[in-house]
Amino acid sequence: MKVDIERLRRIVGNNNASDNVADLYVYSSDASVHQAMPSVVVRPKTIGEVQKIMRYANKNKIPVIPRGAGSSTSGHTVPIDGGIVMDLKRMNCILEIRPKDMLVKVEPGVVDDDLNSALKPYGLFYPPAPASSRIATIGGEIGANASGIRSVKYGATRDYVLGMKVVLANGDLVNLGSNTRVHSAGYQLERLIVGSEGTLGIVVEATMRIVPIPKFRCLAIANFDKLEDAGNAISDIISSGAQPSMLELMDGIGIVAVNKALGLGLQEVGAIILFEADGNVKEAVDYEIQKMKEICEKHNGFDIEMSYDLQERTRIYSGRKKLFASLSRYKEGIICTDLADDMGVPNSKIAETAIKIHEIAKRNNVIMAVYGHCGSGVVHTKIMLDPKKKSQWKDAEHVVEELYDYVHSAGGVTSAEHGIALSKAPSWKKARKDVIPVMKAIKKALDPDNILNPHKLMDAPDNWVTATNLRYQVIS
Amino acid sequence: MRMKPKYLKDWEQEMNICIRCAYCFEGCPVFKELGWESDGARGKAILSYGLLSGEIEPSRYIADKIFQCTYCKDCVERCSASVSIPDILTAARADLVDAGFASDIHKHVIENVKTTGNIFGDTEVISHEMKGEKLLFIGCQYLSRPNKTKKYIKILEKLGTKPDIQKETCCGFPMKALGFEKEFEEHKKKFLELFPNEDEEIIAFCPTCAMFLKEEYELNVKHASQVILDKIPKAELGMKVTWHDPCDLSRGLGIIDEPREILKKLGIEVVEMRHSREQSSCCGGGGGILMSDPSLSDEIAKSRIREAMDTDVDTLITSCPTCEQVLKKAASEISESDGKNIVVRNIEDIIWKGLKKNDEDS
Repeated sequence: MKVDIERLRRIVGNNNASDNVADLYVYSSDASVHQAMPSVVVRPKTIGEVQKIMRYANKNKIPVIPRGAGSSTSGHTVPIDGGIVMDLKRMNCILEIRPKDMLVKVEPGVVDDDLNSALKPYGLFYPPAPASSRIATIGGEIGANASGIRSVKYGATRDYVLGMKVVLANGDLVNLGSNTRVHSAGYQLERLIVGSEGTLGIVVEATMRIVPIPKFRCLAIANFDKLEDAGNAISDIISSGAQPSMLELMDGIGIVAVNKALGLGLQEVGAIILFEADGNVKEAVDYEIQKMKEICEKHNGFDIEMSYDLQERTRIYSGRKKLFASLSRYKEGIICTDLADDMGVPNSKIAETAIKIHEIAKRNNVIMAVYGHCGSGVVHTKIMLDPKKKSQWKDAEHVVEELYDYVHSAGGVTSAEHGIALSKAPSWKKARKDVIPVMKAIKKALDPDNILNPHKLMDAPDNWVTATNLRYQVIS
Repeated sequence: MRMKPKYLKDWEQEMNICIRCAYCFEGCPVFKELGWESDGARGKAILSYGLLSGEIEPSRYIADKIFQCTYCKDCVERCSASVSIPDILTAARADLVDAGFASDIHKHVIENVKTTGNIFGDTEVISHEMKGEKLLFIGCQYLSRPNKTKKYIKILEKLGTKPDIQKETCCGFPMKALGFEKEFEEHKKKFLELFPNEDEEIIAFCPTCAMFLKEEYELNVKHASQVILDKIPKAELGMKVTWHDPCDLSRGLGIIDEPREILKKLGIEVVEMRHSREQSSCCGGGGGILMSDPSLSDEIAKSRIREAMDTDVDTLITSCPTCEQVLKKAASEISESDGKNIVVRNIEDIIWKGLKKNDEDS
């Protein structure tokens, strides 16, 4: 694809556009299994620069793929059809912190943890923290409707977006939403942009709701011999009306992996649950923690440890925080892949889903870990395989298909927090045939020439293995 | 030109284990300064993978990116799978050197080590042999700073350790880190002839030498600060300082509390910087960039000095001669440009001051 790099350099400056093969190769992948080379990478700094790039791209029908940290697990930022990768990390200013209005205005490249560091002196925080909050950008989180460990109490990104500035495919700038907590003035288009995976516009500024940091946080860990018991304990905690601010599951495979990778010395049991309560009244936090502890004990949970101390909480949580990458250390010769990684299932199905995942993995000769923000119904899995063996990718394909068939039959969803993009598109499209024409119509209205992150979501290919090159050297 | 990777082959599985999560962006000093993903640890690992797979061909541009790393190991510290990016880069550098992409300045340094046994190529930079009880490894950086070395030796003597100084040669770290594998293998033999006994305890002054002696030669090495902590008497210097953790001391050897304890014993209050201990920020002096890309090194050092200035103390102390050198330069430049001042000192100066004060008080 021919892209006029000199034209782009005139817009963003010589040092902020590259067509060097080294840069293109680095920007050809993210944290997913996919890989495809862009034609050019640009790094705009201002809204005006983004508009000019979009006008040029739209006129010449060149794909534009917005990118934050490039930590997507499903291939959101992989430029399947070449074109311009727009790296938005230079737009990283926190524009306004308005404690009285309980909101912040940020550029899309602001990193989640940096935002929370800036909010801390005000006694405020931005809650939808994904495990990758130390590098994830707000723009990327909006694109994926990210959620995380505290979403069980505080919700996902969509729940915090009040308004945003968006550059459309034709370069026009629109102001969506408001500075108010609620509004009913027309379509809530700002909410439509959340989770749209860069297919409808480039978010260049976001107005986000923020909340007070609770005075007390107590985190506990409970061990279980059986994964099923841990899953049932989670379901009961939620249905009991308890108010966890974190409710996480990690299976035995995950425990072994973090012990191997990080030397954490966790008890190598069937599963663990992390549960947290927070609030401004210590007695209320104690009450919630006690209630959850009793439910865990009822389901054979043992050696339950809890702490209010920040250092101790960090220690307890560290295994879960670093689990994703650690899984590759579970066994020699395998690596951890993101294929079917963030199903959402009804609360009553947590234990059943966890057991089913292990069954499907065993039947298909791969190893799968089960973990996640199960209090919110988010079940993470990772498929561990030998990436050089073609047969293992075939096995993985069967696993993905079987797994999603089960999840959909159980009333669950394909993705609860990472989005669809490429890896999950075939299963999602199969399950949501009814909404695809509607989504295509919206896309056509906003991006008639289909230049914004094309071939993702409803337009993604039907086979994730052949959709792009796999980023591994598959030899047999 | 298609490269024939020899050294990178051993790292293929580690590069596959890297899930490209980007957690290593967070503290990478080169990425923070330059901002392109190809400047960060993940980007360099991806480039290394591309060189191995043959998807990209070696070029000057790629070689520059691979050599723009300070080897601070912040990426390893933050990696959930403990993938050692510096080791992958060492292999990539070795393959690039084999393919003819060594820089002239790096070739010059390696030639210096080959001909004189030290990185400066100065035949006068030699160890003055001295019979004693504890074997001491001084290293190129301290040997080129004779006054500092004398002071450090006197400190050990005052604390009851009589150093045994032999003829020495460069530890070989620059050869290894800069990708001169063949030269390093030859040099390693020379080094082991001088230091053959892996059981004998060796005290090292330079954190990088100490780390390399331990990791590469599996020698029984202690950094001087560990020896000094055991014996240093209390003093009341009454200073308030910040401590810069040298990467090879903190992340490399896990020596984090010892220097702080020494300062505490000397009656010095340490105010921590935003990034400290295991997550300390790099000074910008390591990995060869001080030679091949001094302006980048300088910018990284200035960022560190600005962080030190945020603590509102007037003195920064460290225990690495390279850190001291680059941070001093950065502090001086910031003083000129911004009018803000911070004094950079090495720990041996402070320990010496403490011992003198202790003598006076008693």
